[in-house]
Amino acid sequence: MMAALRRDKLLSFALIFVILQLLLAIFAPIVAGDPIEQVIMSRMQGPSLENPLGTDQLGRDVFARILFGYRTSLLTCGVAVVLALIVGGSLGMLAAFYRGWFDRIVMRIMDVLFAFPIILLAIGIIAVLGPNALSASIAIGVVYVPIFARLLRGPSLVICESEYVQGARAIGASDSRIVFTHLLPNLSSLILVQASLLLSAAILVEASLSFLGLGAQPPTPSLGQMLSEGRNFLLLNPWPAVFSGFAILFLSFGFNLLGDALRDTLDPRLRNSTD
Amino acid sequence: MRIKTLGAALLASTCLFSAAQAATLDVAVDSSPAGLDPHLVTAFSSVVVIGDTIYEGLTTIAEDLSVQPGLAKSWEISEDGLTYTFSLHENVTFHDGSAMTAEDVAASMRRVLNEEMGSPLASRISPITEITIVDDTTIALTLDAPFAPILTSLAGIAIVPSEAEMDTEALQQVPVGTGPFMFSEWVPNSYISLTAFDGYRDAELPKLDEVKFHIVPEAATRQVGLASGQYDLLPGVDPATALQLQASPGVTVLETRDLSYTLIGINTSRPPFDNAVVRRALNMAVNRDEIIAAALFGNGVAAGPLSPALQAWALDPATFDCYSGDAASAAALLAEAGVETPIQAELLVLPRQDAKDIAQVVQQQARAAGFEIELVNKEIGAFVQDWRNSDFDLFASANGGNPDPDGYFYRTFYGGGSTNVFMYDDAEVNSLLDEGRTSTDMATRQAAYNAVQTKLACEGPIVHVAYGSLSTAINDNVSGFVINPNRRLSSLKSVEVSE
Amino acid sequence: MRFLAGRLLDLVLVLFGVSVIVFLMIRLIPGDAVAIMLGANTEITPERIAELESRLGLDQPIVVQYFDWISGIFRGDLGTSIWTGRPVAQEIAANIWPTLQLTFLSVLVGAGLAIPIGCFMAEARGKTAEVLVRVGAIAGLTIPSFWLGIVSIFLVAKLMPGSAMLGYVPFGEDPLGNLQRMILPVFALSLPMLANLSRLVRSAMLDALGQDYIRTAKSKGAGRTRVVYVHALRNALIPFITSVGVATGYLLGGAIVIEQVFAIPGLGQLVLGAISERNYPLVQSAILVLTFAFVLVNFLVDILYAAIDPRVSQR
Repeated sequence: MMAALRRDKLLSFALIFVILQLLLAIFAPIVAGDPIEQVIMSRMQGPSLENPLGTDQLGRDVFARILFGYRTSLLTCGVAVVLALIVGGSLGMLAAFYRGWFDRIVMRIMDVLFAFPIILLAIGIIAVLGPNALSASIAIGVVYVPIFARLLRGPSLVICESEYVQGARAIGASDSRIVFTHLLPNLSSLILVQASLLLSAAILVEASLSFLGLGAQPPTPSLGQMLSEGRNFLLLNPWPAVFSGFAILFLSFGFNLLGDALRDTLDPRLRNSTD
Repeated sequence: MRIKTLGAALLASTCLFSAAQAATLDVAVDSSPAGLDPHLVTAFSSVVVIGDTIYEGLTTIAEDLSVQPGLAKSWEISEDGLTYTFSLHENVTFHDGSAMTAEDVAASMRRVLNEEMGSPLASRISPITEITIVDDTTIALTLDAPFAPILTSLAGIAIVPSEAEMDTEALQQVPVGTGPFMFSEWVPNSYISLTAFDGYRDAELPKLDEVKFHIVPEAATRQVGLASGQYDLLPGVDPATALQLQASPGVTVLETRDLSYTLIGINTSRPPFDNAVVRRALNMAVNRDEIIAAALFGNGVAAGPLSPALQAWALDPATFDCYSGDAASAAALLAEAGVETPIQAELLVLPRQDAKDIAQVVQQQARAAGFEIELVNKEIGAFVQDWRNSDFDLFASANGGNPDPDGYFYRTFYGGGSTNVFMYDDAEVNSLLDEGRTSTDMATRQAAYNAVQTKLACEGPIVHVAYGSLSTAINDNVSGFVINPNRRLSSLKSVEVSE
Repeated sequence: MRFLAGRLLDLVLVLFGVSVIVFLMIRLIPGDAVAIMLGANTEITPERIAELESRLGLDQPIVVQYFDWISGIFRGDLGTSIWTGRPVAQEIAANIWPTLQLTFLSVLVGAGLAIPIGCFMAEARGKTAEVLVRVGAIAGLTIPSFWLGIVSIFLVAKLMPGSAMLGYVPFGEDPLGNLQRMILPVFALSLPMLANLSRLVRSAMLDALGQDYIRTAKSKGAGRTRVVYVHALRNALIPFITSVGVATGYLLGGAIVIEQVFAIPGLGQLVLGAISERNYPLVQSAILVLTFAFVLVNFLVDILYAAIDPRVSQR
């Protein structure tokens, strides 16, 4: 791994970029001030020494809100991707493993979920669950379930047909043993790469949902929400909208670059498949 | 079909230079009306299009909120205050060409009162028990008890053709009234167009040929559209946009004090908010000036129970001793009364930017006085449901106003009132409200409403936060527009546009 | 032919699943249509609620409501908007053009520009170029399009306050003005697709250029331009079409947010508004139409795919 890092400057750059943002999010309470405290008399200020990225309409520190927004965003999307991976990934692998009617039913249901435009399905799910960060997690998770299922089913099929798995079956290895010793290890690079790429996409989806007022709710800071509030007084004070947009871009960019570079390093065969 | 309109557009654009341009006023509004039936849809998005433009009532509310003659040129009130006899203008016709008579007025009243119609306006004229057509141009309305606000209320009851009495659908799509403008076209989510009505009772009016209401949901787009001359008038501009528009050349922002107010509602059936001392403490903890600076961009005044626009009635908020914005004395008051702090409460927030901002500021201000408030954000449908079922501790929202104090108070604060979601029931307030409603003596009403205001301001179920400005932005080529605090575009008939 | 029939059957099954999900989902949303319709701050009585419910058919059992809706669709009747009383089909028709136009123009711009840009980028070789292309493409892909929209609105409002680039005018009313106002939203919406596709074109081009038959063609004396544009592009076609198909679907979704930013009266606004109004007939039919469009695009991509590469249909 270290050797790979030395070889691949891009991967190391991506890793550093992502880790830096993760650290900022984790240590937000130390690095920045209180994201909720209002100093109404100094509202809508531009960047200054005291507020490096200015203040918003209620006089809150934009820098602190962005760092805490990172937390919201990462937590929401992290939960979503893990959820999608566990549910979707297992469904895909099991479908490949058992084949037959189970495969057919599962994949048909995945087709139905996949048929919705992502945002639309997420909006519907959040409407049912109520607008908050957890609903956004669940909504994004559900939306990504078919992606993981489809993604893992194909390679799993190949592995299950392979001679060594057939051999293991012949000598009486249990189903769970085959899944855990053959299937999962062989899929781990694929999973890692896709999780990173989907996290990047999820950050954008979460931001869109928050932008529409369907993500984390005030007073919890969230990047999309800052952007949508900021746009109401863009001409008076563009900073909250501008900076929160950059924050979304950096976060999403970091994970996408990481996934992209990981793909090269871990699995050269995947090199040219985009998306 | 689209090709046809394209052809028409090309044709129109080639004719543009030869023919004199018709005077069209382009208005940009933020949302599409749910329907245009004046008795069924009372949302602002509908009223702004049809109120005092397509439809008229027997009376009308002037810009100073006084009651003026509308379709009725005069009226007489019987000595007992129970019978109002209206003389109607002669030669008034509906846009479909039929004559407007006392029968249409009677049918309109019956339509609103009819339970099967389900009109939200019914309670405004519910005291009417008898409708008597004296002749074609005279009609008498009899009340079961004296009801001082009746003339104000009648301004909001549009007169529709009698054929529509039992029809809940036709007028939603194609309104037919007696006003200066008639309905022409509605392209959903795009625009609603009204054209001048030739047969209007004042032959001089309207001066415009057409009024086009463009539906433009995004504030920034409306703002840029007005500045670039694409639109001529924006009614109901939010404070942030108003501030930005004031700096635009060629644009004037007209302002008047709004009748509606932002508020924190309190569920008085839930301890400890059943205790008037706790409500008083919350009122004290709220610093209205800070909220106005933050959420209304400085453009508003601290709210008492009545808008300062009701000059004859409203008490100055400075007279309310609880409007101190002082968290320390609020905490002291709670301690003195032996109320256990911190007081935990959930605050339901209307999904609208000003309400969200107000909720967050109040959350911080009240914390210093010993209130631990948690914000609960719901989508509009869920908000309305909880609000209606009184399923909240506190809520942040806005309430509409009315030119008469009764419209502010009766349904909101009277025990069992139709929008009294606070479960508030105070014998003293109830009897004062009855007095204000049934007395026609100005001094008696004044005394009753003064007492009501003083009581509600500090210990009522509402923390009145602020009256914003009602702002309308117009292009400098528009003349003759006067802003009306009741939010109707009643002066459109005398508006002119120059190129 | 069997391939086509199989795909069609899939299509029908998927749409059936979608219809059930949409129908149930909107009814699970808390807060019912009638309460919202009567609105906040208005008087309410149980009689009024009951009256409205029966008028709207909401007092029927849920299975009956679903059956009514589906059988209506087969008769070409998408239902009636419970707010305006207008046929849903009419409401959708009034809102579908801006969405289609926005999506179509974005695909056109995104896919159209991707080919020359991708070819151009294929000329740049070497490590630095490699990294720049990659970082640029990923940045383009991850830039939030609604933010791009907002920032461009801000810049236009600040720098060119008089320009007619904001707002929306129907194409039929003012074709030129319409296109002028489409520039910013199309730019914002198509950039991620452009970034993704041009990177794809580039790598497909590089692949193709490295392959034997190109070298053969080259040695035979065909000019470089012909080599690049004929042989290489044909080879890049399949992944390109797949990506365009997938991206078109994403655009339909992305258009919902962009419509909100640029105030374009499209299907996105219709659906969002209808959800908050609990306008059941409108929401369920509009989402079904949107999803149908999405599924149809994927279906067409599959067919095209099969037409280009006959092996696919034998799978």
